[in-house]
Amino acid sequence: MKRIVLLPMVALWGGHALAGDFTTTVRGTDGKPVPDAVVMVYPNGQPTKGPIKFPWAYRVAQQNIQFSPFVLVVPVGADVSFPNLDKVRHHVYSFSAGNKFEIKLYGREENRTAKMNAAGVAAIGCNIHDQMVGFIRVVDTAYAGKTDANGVVTIQDVPAGAVVAKVWHPYLRGMKNEKTLTTTSLPAGAAREAVSIELRAPAPH
Amino acid sequence: MFQRLQTKLTVLYAGLFALALSLVAVTVYVAIASNAQRTVRQELAASGTVFDRVWALRTQRLQDGADLLSRDFGFRAAIATHDRPTVESAIANLRQRLGLDLAFTVGVDGDVTGVDPARLDLEKLWGALDAEDGAQGVFAIDGQPYQLISAPILSPTLTGWIVFAARLDEPEMQALEKLSAIGLDAQVFDLRGGKWISADHGPANPALTAFVGQAMHDKVSEPRMLRGGADSLVLVKPIKALDKASGAALVLRYPMAQAMAPYRPLMGAVVIVGLIGAALVAAASWALSRGISKPIVALDEAAQRLQRGEEVIVEVTTRDEIGRLAQSFNLMAGEIREREAEMTRQALHDGETGLPNRRALERTIEGRLTGIGANQQVVVTAVGFDRFPQVRAAIGYELATELVAKLGQRIMDIAPGAMVGRLTTSILCVISDNDDLDAVLAIIDSVLPQLEAPILLGGEPVDVHITHGLAAASVGELDAARLIERALIALDQARAAHKKIMAFDAEAYGDPAANLSLMSEMLEAVRSGALYLNHQPKLDLRTGAISGVEALVRWNHPTRGFVRPDLFVGMAEETGHIRALTDYVLAQAIEDQAQLRAAGHDVLMSVNVSGRLIDDADFARHALAKVKAAGARLCFEITETAVIGNPDVALGVLERFADAGIAVSIDDYGSGLSSLAYLKQIRADELKIDKAFVMTLESGGKDALLVKSTIDLAHSLGMKVTAEGVETREGLAALQLMGCDLAQGYFVAKPLGLDKLVAFLGEWSIDLPAEAPARKLA
Repeated sequence: MKRIVLLPMVALWGGHALAGDFTTTVRGTDGKPVPDAVVMVYPNGQPTKGPIKFPWAYRVAQQNIQFSPFVLVVPVGADVSFPNLDKVRHHVYSFSAGNKFEIKLYGREENRTAKMNAAGVAAIGCNIHDQMVGFIRVVDTAYAGKTDANGVVTIQDVPAGAVVAKVWHPYLRGMKNEKTLTTTSLPAGAAREAVSIELRAPAPH
Repeated sequence: MFQRLQTKLTVLYAGLFALALSLVAVTVYVAIASNAQRTVRQELAASGTVFDRVWALRTQRLQDGADLLSRDFGFRAAIATHDRPTVESAIANLRQRLGLDLAFTVGVDGDVTGVDPARLDLEKLWGALDAEDGAQGVFAIDGQPYQLISAPILSPTLTGWIVFAARLDEPEMQALEKLSAIGLDAQVFDLRGGKWISADHGPANPALTAFVGQAMHDKVSEPRMLRGGADSLVLVKPIKALDKASGAALVLRYPMAQAMAPYRPLMGAVVIVGLIGAALVAAASWALSRGISKPIVALDEAAQRLQRGEEVIVEVTTRDEIGRLAQSFNLMAGEIREREAEMTRQALHDGETGLPNRRALERTIEGRLTGIGANQQVVVTAVGFDRFPQVRAAIGYELATELVAKLGQRIMDIAPGAMVGRLTTSILCVISDNDDLDAVLAIIDSVLPQLEAPILLGGEPVDVHITHGLAAASVGELDAARLIERALIALDQARAAHKKIMAFDAEAYGDPAANLSLMSEMLEAVRSGALYLNHQPKLDLRTGAISGVEALVRWNHPTRGFVRPDLFVGMAEETGHIRALTDYVLAQAIEDQAQLRAAGHDVLMSVNVSGRLIDDADFARHALAKVKAAGARLCFEITETAVIGNPDVALGVLERFADAGIAVSIDDYGSGLSSLAYLKQIRADELKIDKAFVMTLESGGKDALLVKSTIDLAHSLGMKVTAEGVETREGLAALQLMGCDLAQGYFVAKPLGLDKLVAFLGEWSIDLPAEAPARKLA
C-alpha cells in the first residue's frame, strides 16, 4: 500500500522541475553499439531505499539452447523465473556469490524460480549445455536499465543533482566488469552521455 | 738440388705416389666425413620430428586431462564456492592419475590452489594465462623449466585456470635420447634474463650456450656444425614458451667424433696401406733408379778417368740404350787412345826418318838430367853431315833422307845404349848412356872409321863425312834445349876449326848475347869518338918511299878496354851495322888524309870496305859524293869473297868508283875461295896477298911459288901487288925480288896513330935490300 501511495509522488516530483531522463549510448572501442550493457544511476551515490520495481518481467527463458534474454536486470530480492521453452532438459546453475542456485533437470513448460538475494551478478550456465551462458544483474537502485540493439538506454525520471552512474557488461574489461560514467550530476530535464567500453572476447565453450 | 740421379728419381716417384695417396686419403676422409655428417643430420632431423611428435602427444594427453577436470561440475562447483580442500584433493587425484609433477589452479583473482604461490612468478603466469585461452608452453618454476598446460575453468564465466606442469629435466631428456637411433645428447635451454641457460645440472658449456643463442636469433631450423674443441652437429628446436617474453629450445647435439668413430679403423687402414705403399714405391723406385743410374755413374767415373788420361773400359752389362752408350764410350775411348798415341808418336818423331825428333830428345834429356848424380853428366853429341846440300843434290832428296836414317841406325847399332834423334835435316843428335864427356870423345874417336864407312843406298856405296860436336851438362846446369844448342855450337866450332870431333868451347863461343849489345855500344862509340883510326904505312918497294897507308879502325871501350877489331867489325858485318862503321871510317880517313897533307905528306889512303856494302848503291853514292867533295885520294880495299853478294850490281859500283878515280884493291887474296873469274871481271888496281902466304915466305917451298905466280898474274892483269904481313927483312927482300910492288907489315911499321904517323913519315928512310928487278917488267 505504501508503495502505491509513494510511486505517484516520486513520479510527480520527477515529472516536475526536480527530475529528468538520462539517456546513455554505449559503444564498443570499434564504434559498434553494444547491446545488453547495464547502466546504473545512483542519485547522491546512494542505493535506493525501499522496494524497487522494474517494468519488465523477471524471467530468463531457455529457448533454442540459449538463455533469453542474455542479460536481465532485476532488483535485489527479486524472484526470477526460468521457463524452459526447449524440448530438451536443462540444468541451470549459478555459482555467483550471494546468488547461488541450482535448478536441476526440469522439462518443458516447467516454471521454476530462484530468488536473487544479493546485489551483484549471477552468472548462469547449464550443466548440460556448456555453450549456454546468461547473466542476471542484480541491482540496488531503481534507476537502471540495459541498452537495446542500438546500444541506447534511457533511464527516466532520475532526480536532478549529484549522481554516480556506472555501466556494466559481462565482458567489459575492468574491475567487476564495470565502468563509472563521466556524468556526476544531472540537471532537471534530459541528459545524455555516450560511453565507449572495451569488451573482452567471451570464454569459449 | 739433388746431385744424384738415383735420389732424384726415387724422390720423384715416391713423392708422386705419396701425393696420389694423400689425395685418395683426403678424398676418402672427406667422403666419410660428409657421409657421417649427412647421417647425423638425418638422424638429428628425425629425432627432431620424433621430439615434435612426442611433445605433441604429451601435450595432448595433458591437455585432455586438464580439459576433463576443468569441465567437471563438481570441481567447478568446488572452485566457484572456494571449497579449497575439495579442489586440492581433486587436483592431487588427477596428478596421481596422470603422473604429473605439478598441478594447480589459478583463479582470475590470482588465487592459487595446489602449489605454494612462492614457487611461481604469479604475475607472469597470470598474464600468460589471461593473454591466451588454453595457454601452454615452457615456464620456469623453481628455476627449472616445466612444460605447462592450462585449461580455463568456466562456471560458466571464467573463474580461473587449471594448470598442469611436467618437468623438462635430465630424466625426461634421457627418455627422449633413448628414442633416438644414435646416441644424442638432448638438453632444454630456456631464456632467463636474456641468457640461454641449460636445464642440465652438468657443467656450463659457453660455446654451446652462445651457439644456441645465435641459432635462436637466426631462427635456424637445420642442424648446424658447432666447431671448436670437439666438433658436433647441433639441432636447435624452438619450443613454445608460455609467455611471449620467454623462450625455450630443445637442443639435440651429436659429437662428430662419435659419428666418425665407426670409420676410424677404415681411416687407419687407409693410412697404414698408404704408408706401406709409399715405402714399397720408394724402395722399388730406389732399386729401379739404381739400375738406371749405376751404369750412368760408371760411365761418369770412366769419363772422368779418361779425362785424366787413364786407360778405361766400361763393363757393358745391358743391351739397352745405356749398354749401347757404354759400348760407344769404349769404342770412343779406344780411338782416343790410339789417336793420342799416334799424335804422341808424330809429335815426338821425325816424319821422314822415323827417328825421334827434337822434342823427344829434349824430353829424354830432361829425364836424364833429373835422374843423374851430382858428379855425373848428360853427354849430347850433334852429328852433322858435311856438305849435306851437295850430297842431297847429288843423290836426290829421298836417298839423302835414307842416308840420314841409315846413319842413325848405324849409330844405334854401334852404341845400343844411346838415343839417336834427328835435329835438323842434316844433323843427328845422340844422347849417350855414358856420363863422362871425355870418355864419349874417346869412344867416338875410336869408332869414327866405322861411322864414316860408306853407306849402301840402292846397292851403291855413298861416302859419309860427318862432324861431331859434343856438349855435356850436369844437374841444374842447363836445360835440354840449351844442351842441344851447345852441341850444335860445338858442331859449328868443329867445322870452323876443320876438326872431326870437338867439345863445346865456351871460351871461344864467348857471349853472343853480350856481343849483340856491343853493336849498340859501337854505334854510340861512333858518335862519342871512342872509335879512332890507326894507319899502317905501305912501302913502295920500287922507290923505298911510304906511298900509302891503310886506315884501320880501333875501339877503346870505356869498360871492356881495347875491343878486337875482327870481333866488332865482323859483328857489324853480320848484324847490318857495317854501313855506319864504314861511313865513320871513310869520313875520318878523309879528314886524316887532309891533316897528313897539311903536314906535307901526300899518301894514298886505303879504306876497308865490306863486300856487303859494295852492292849498296846508296853507300856508293854517298861515298862518291864525300870523296869528290874532299878531293881525297882513296883506295877501297874489298875482300874478294865478299863481292859475291850481287855480282852485277857490285861490278857496276866498282866501275863507278874507278871512274871517280878511287882505286880498288882486292884484299886478302888467297885466303878464301879465290875465283879467277872475279879477277877477270873486277876492274881493280891492286891485289893484296894474304899474310898467311907472306909470313911463311922465307921458308921457301910452295908459298913462295904461289906468291911469285900471283904477283905475275896480277901484273899481267894490270894490277899492282901489295904483300901483307911482312915482318922480316928477308921477307921484304924476297918480295922485292919477286917484283912485288908494295909491302905492309910490322917490318915496315905497325899501325900508327895520326901523330905518330906524321912523325914516322917525317923520319922515314929505308935501305932497300935489292935493286928493283921488276923495273924491267914495269
